[in-house]
Amino acid sequence: MKQHRQWPRFAIVLAVLALIATGCRDSGTTADVEDVDTGAAPAETTAPTDTATDTPTETAADTATPTDTGSPTEGTTPAGDIAFDTGVTEEACPDAVNPDNGCIYLGTLSDLTVGPFAALAVPITDAQQAFWNRVNEDGGIGGFDVNVTEFVRDNQYNPEIHNQEYQAIKNDVLALAQTLGSPTTAAIIEDLNAEGIVAVPASWTSEWAFQDVILESGVNYCFESMNSIDWAVENLEGIETVMAVHYPGDYGGDAAAGARIAAEANGLEFTDVETAPGPDNQSGAISAVASQQPDLVILTTNPTDAGAVVGNAAAQGYQGTFIGTGPSWNKGLLTSPAAEAVQALYLASGPWTWTQESPGRDAMEEALGDVDPNDGYTSGWVWSYPLKAALEQAAENGDLTREGLLAAVSELDDVDYEGMLPDEAGNFVGDPNETAYRGSIVSEPNPEAIVGLDVLQDFFVGPTAEGYDFTQSCFTTTAG
Amino acid sequence: MTALLTDRGGRGSRPRGRPELYTSYSSDIALLNTPAKRAGVLAIVAAAFALPFAVSDQVLVLLGTGLAMSVGAIGLNIVTGYAGQVSLGHAFFVGLGAYTAAVLSGDPDGRLVGFGLPMVVWLPAAGLVAGAAGLLVAPLATRLRGLYLAIVTLGLVFLGEHVFREWDSVTGGPGVGRDAVQATLFGNSLTAGGAVLSGAQKVYLFALVVLIAAAVPARNLARSGVGRAFAAVRDRDIAAEVIGVSLTKAKLLAFTISSFYAGICGALLYTITRTVEPNSFNLLLSVRFIAMVLIGGAATISGSIMGAMFVTLLPRFTQQVPRFVPFIGQGVTGGGLLTNVELEAMLYGLLIIAFLIFEPRGLFGVWLRVRNYWKGWPFSY
Repeated sequence: MKQHRQWPRFAIVLAVLALIATGCRDSGTTADVEDVDTGAAPAETTAPTDTATDTPTETAADTATPTDTGSPTEGTTPAGDIAFDTGVTEEACPDAVNPDNGCIYLGTLSDLTVGPFAALAVPITDAQQAFWNRVNEDGGIGGFDVNVTEFVRDNQYNPEIHNQEYQAIKNDVLALAQTLGSPTTAAIIEDLNAEGIVAVPASWTSEWAFQDVILESGVNYCFESMNSIDWAVENLEGIETVMAVHYPGDYGGDAAAGARIAAEANGLEFTDVETAPGPDNQSGAISAVASQQPDLVILTTNPTDAGAVVGNAAAQGYQGTFIGTGPSWNKGLLTSPAAEAVQALYLASGPWTWTQESPGRDAMEEALGDVDPNDGYTSGWVWSYPLKAALEQAAENGDLTREGLLAAVSELDDVDYEGMLPDEAGNFVGDPNETAYRGSIVSEPNPEAIVGLDVLQDFFVGPTAEGYDFTQSCFTTTAG
Repeated sequence: MTALLTDRGGRGSRPRGRPELYTSYSSDIALLNTPAKRAGVLAIVAAAFALPFAVSDQVLVLLGTGLAMSVGAIGLNIVTGYAGQVSLGHAFFVGLGAYTAAVLSGDPDGRLVGFGLPMVVWLPAAGLVAGAAGLLVAPLATRLRGLYLAIVTLGLVFLGEHVFREWDSVTGGPGVGRDAVQATLFGNSLTAGGAVLSGAQKVYLFALVVLIAAAVPARNLARSGVGRAFAAVRDRDIAAEVIGVSLTKAKLLAFTISSFYAGICGALLYTITRTVEPNSFNLLLSVRFIAMVLIGGAATISGSIMGAMFVTLLPRFTQQVPRFVPFIGQGVTGGGLLTNVELEAMLYGLLIIAFLIFEPRGLFGVWLRVRNYWKGWPFSY
């Protein structure tokens, strides 16, 4: 009895020890690296597994001070005299395009598996990897390659998980190449500000215009909804009542706030219907649309829920028009059970789309190769331009630390979007009321079209958005 | 306090080299009744306090989460391990604690309800509100037992989840959530990095202090008359009633204390995780607590802590697996036969089954065996 009981006991003890060893693994590495730091190369090398307690800015200037004992760091730095610390290494990236370059690590927090935006988030992430790969193939930035594959985490579109994953990677990255979602990013915005970490949002909420660390691109939901209503009033007949059907929080709430402002400006009757994410949660919204029969519905959900609302409202006899904000659309809607209703009733607004011709679009098509086109790709690609510009500016300034990057962002008054957006759309200097880009597009579904959409109206700014005094984010304006 | 921990009178009269000979009842039931235990506990506590200065922030956050979970696991162990009342509703009480703390400490000018009160208010309040809810639910437990109680407490999780999802002004609603506890102590933030300590170090130390403050009374409770009454109810409730234990009182007390711990756990947990989303307090969280108790060891305090640490560190372990095992893919990029996330879910199940079959006393039992082996070494008994 005792003899053969020993083995399971031994196995369990071993498993526990292995677990403890794994748990402590990271700390071991950090300690090792720090030993190396203090011993051999006191100046510039700080590993990506750096702790927050150990992030003094070690600049190239430091290495020149006489107190430093002859470490040849300046010679070995790929970039010569660029200062860097957290999230940037002298060592090349894993599988580097340019093995002689250093490495800038950027984090990605995206909805990659089970969340409501996975169908868009995966292409966004792929497009960003293609974008930065192209940057690396062009020689990188200031002697560094950019890595966006090492710190990719799934947020499941859940603010809590988003925050946890952010805390887990934040000491390893210089900036965030993507933080997907408005409520999710809102959950970390305070910390981003406190740490001075520049982040590229994968969302268009109007709050981002007022956050220095956020490098947003394109029209926000608030202006997008205003433009959609202005456009509908001008181009569709008999628009008298508007309903906003939207997710709660900074995504849907922002669009609904814009819709309310535009409805008031146009003298339309406005109703607000909030709906929770998930196809099972749409019955309230569906019956609201079907029973109140608004002439126009501004829809701010994900594609699946948009399909549920449009399909079921049509089945219950609704015959008005839906205009869905950018993230509500996916080509898949045209093969869903709601396809017929979508083609009859749905129009998509958005900040940009694949079919708009530009050199940037061609470069994207080339970089992506053979993929099933989806505006997730377009968005991921466009969003990356400002960060590229900021990194280049920071490298030019000789400071690739977090402070340096943030300083570079504050100097960024135009971004070359390679024609995918007007250059003035990338102005991060000055008053958001003057610099925020307000132009959106309206498209109609077409199964033959490349992303399932034909552009009806290219970039335009309606009178409501044009005259709107943008002094704080739309969502808090109405909710507060 | 020291008198509780060590019984000096008893120790003095113990002959040298006979650690298990007790000459008085009080020395027998003392919390740390052998010199080895005293030294061991002291060493562990000292090591735990030294740890933040040795390991990276990421690991500290993980360990801090483990400490917070430990408080909750101790709570569940009191009602399930000691008093034998199966509760699947633990997640609900954790949620109550988290939201009580978030509301009381929240920004009064923010989008959601908040009162901006200090830690001395929200931490006990989180426990008290959850404890009060436990007291309300407890009468169910006095009428039911076993599977029936499990099902009723299961219902509690779903009720709670619904309320949390719908009560937007407090919870922010599903998919949006709200800022969790704004933890400040004497005007200093417990979560933001300062001149001396980083945020992770502070929050870890805070969790450690709360855990110690929670574990010692729990251990004391277990060896007191109340604890014995719990054990009697667990082992044979009719017999317990016959010998004069009030079933109603024992069960009420067990539920209330357990929920109090769960509330503290919720407040603490979300001091570390800075955002709280209403869908978090679901059945899965309850099952994780059950796993902690079963893996750690039912009816032991140190086992609860071991189990909580084990279950919290498990994802960290499975994250490393894809690097070494080719057919297991990294959760995000996918690929392979199964991902590390799936592996983690499977390991929960396998571990619970394996522990129930091979080591029903859990990690604590493993420790006991190791200890007893070395006690008699080189003789096997």
